[in-house]
Amino acid sequence: MYRLALNMLFGDRAKLAMLLCGLAFSALLMAQQSSVFFGIMSWTYTPMVNIRAQVWVSDPMVEQVNDAKPLRDTDLGRVRSVDGVAWAAPLHTSFVQARMQDGNFKLITLVGIDADTFAGAPAVLTQGRIEDLRLPDTVIVDEWGASLMGRMGVGPDGKPRSTPLKVGDTFEINDIQARIVGICKVRRAFTGGPFVYTTYDRAKGYTLGARRTLSFMLVEPQKGVTPDELCGRIERDTGLKAWTSDTVIWNWGERSLARNTFWWFWTNTGIPFSFGTAVLLGLFVGIAISGQTFYSFVLENLKYFAAIKAMGAGMGVIARMLFVQAFTAGLIGFGLGAGMAQAIGRAMIEKGMPPFVMFPQILWATFALVLGISFVSAIIGIIKVSRVDAASVFRG
Amino acid sequence: MSAQAHTVAVRASGVDMFFGTPDNQVVALKQADFEARRGELIMLVGPSGCGKTTLLSVIAGTLTPQAGTVEVFGQRLDGLGQEELTSFRRKNLGFVFQSFNLIPTLSVIENVMVPLLIQGRPYDEAHARSLAIIDKVGLKGREDGRPNALSGGQQQRVAIARALVHEPPLLICDEPTSALDKDTGAHIMQLVRDLSRSPERCVVVVTHDHRIFRFADRIAEMEDGRISRVVDDPKLLDTTHL
Ligand SMILES: Nc1ncnc2c1ncn2[C@@H]1O[C@H](COP(=O)(O)OP(=O)(O)OP(=O)(O)O)[C@@H](O)[C@H]1O
Ligand SMILES: [Mg+2]
Repeated sequence: MYRLALNMLFGDRAKLAMLLCGLAFSALLMAQQSSVFFGIMSWTYTPMVNIRAQVWVSDPMVEQVNDAKPLRDTDLGRVRSVDGVAWAAPLHTSFVQARMQDGNFKLITLVGIDADTFAGAPAVLTQGRIEDLRLPDTVIVDEWGASLMGRMGVGPDGKPRSTPLKVGDTFEINDIQARIVGICKVRRAFTGGPFVYTTYDRAKGYTLGARRTLSFMLVEPQKGVTPDELCGRIERDTGLKAWTSDTVIWNWGERSLARNTFWWFWTNTGIPFSFGTAVLLGLFVGIAISGQTFYSFVLENLKYFAAIKAMGAGMGVIARMLFVQAFTAGLIGFGLGAGMAQAIGRAMIEKGMPPFVMFPQILWATFALVLGISFVSAIIGIIKVSRVDAASVFRG
Repeated sequence: MSAQAHTVAVRASGVDMFFGTPDNQVVALKQADFEARRGELIMLVGPSGCGKTTLLSVIAGTLTPQAGTVEVFGQRLDGLGQEELTSFRRKNLGFVFQSFNLIPTLSVIENVMVPLLIQGRPYDEAHARSLAIIDKVGLKGREDGRPNALSGGQQQRVAIARALVHEPPLLICDEPTSALDKDTGAHIMQLVRDLSRSPERCVVVVTHDHRIFRFADRIAEMEDGRISRVVDDPKLLDTTHL
């Protein structure tokens, strides 16, 4: 009978296509909405991705990566003397205004890294060399920032056009010149503007007024010491707060600064709520569409199920037939939808807008939801068929 | 008595069947008595609304009457639960519905296989047996097509093949020839009649179609929810309402 159940499902290509479209669309909607949601949430801990180090050390009051409370320069020495530390480098981060050549101001995320070790330097430079940061008044700007801060002008077609900044261009931070010696590729952040890298010492200069400029310390554990272990030791020996830097959402530990940043935004801002509503909306629309399409499939076949029932098929057999149909449709629909979500996601990741983080759990959750919808639809179908009067098949 | 028990295939006695609420009641069957013998093809005729379909449903165990007893091949239906009735139908009944009720998304042969698969027969056996019966109703070569690609008469033949494929003791047909022309109707009735010619079999046919009366062994006339008369010869029928 199951073979017939499947043939019933596959028999009408047009209706099957409708059913699968409904299921696929809702799977797509759910996977894609939640991926964008987590994508946006992942922007909150962008510095953790862009500034690479195994262990971060901060003031004990710090709760998340975007809100640094300056440390004493002497803290660096204290951390360096903790057993298991290979090296520790200073890091400055702040949001400052940069003045462009056309006189406009732009908010930037200023990152000062240690000039000796270049700890925390961007992973990919598309132009220039990191070593050139040792030259006076030099900075490295991220690609997106370079075009955002680009020079406005008139293109050959007469339309206004922005030329991205390139190596050799200059702008000013607090009246001090910043000359671009490199363009890097980094992830965009939720807060602050483009990433502008310079050396730690020069960052002090760029942020004139600031008395203390040590925002974080980047620490490398010695061989054989796990970041987690080292964090424990640093906290015990110095009273500072130490964090691990895992950014893999389904797999980050308790001490991860990215994780703590994520949850800080989750509990302290309206972002999860406003984006979460969109996700929920996607869920509801998805559930409604796929539930509705499967339900109408059942309704169309109700008459035939009634005939099968009259011919002596017990409700058990009919129930299993409906489950086979529902789960098969659900499975295929999910496959199509998830595939589309992947494809769209890939395109989005390339453009970086909107952010898109689809981790396996999203797919599993979508899978579970689609199967859940199929399950509920099948149950509704079973109830419908069980209520249908077998005698009704004799009437026209 | 024992000789009679031996010949009786279906017996319904004192059957009452009402529909609707107590203050808006439709009486479909009122103290109806009906008997069909083994090896016979019996027809049920009567004006529209007199309760023919209702009586068929009661005999088939798809409707449970408010009063009376129903016995099919020695099995009492009153007192059986839904699942027992379902199982009873699965083993004993073949149906030809007035509106065919063929599943449009399945092929002809898959439609015919349904009763066998419901009985739990293996797919291959069901397939082979269905092929043979499709041949018998004259649709060889059409088994892989869809029912909708067939004419009304051909679809009715598929429905009949489906009703017969599992060789049910009791075959129940509601207006089986209403969609058929005279010749096809006669062909189908011949087939059904041949199948009734066995002591383990019985065929009950509801019809308005006087052209097929000649295939009946007996004809029961219904009026106002009860059997008013049973005749051996169609000529004795009051055909004014037909
Ligand atoms: N499910 C139902 N609910 C309410 N009334 C019903 C139901 N089924 C049958 N009836 C009523 O019972 C009476 C007998 O109906 P039935 O269908 O048995 O007649 P019939 O002899 O088969 O008529 P026809 O020749 O038109 O098919 C009719 O008055 C009908 O309206
Ligand atoms: Mg009727």
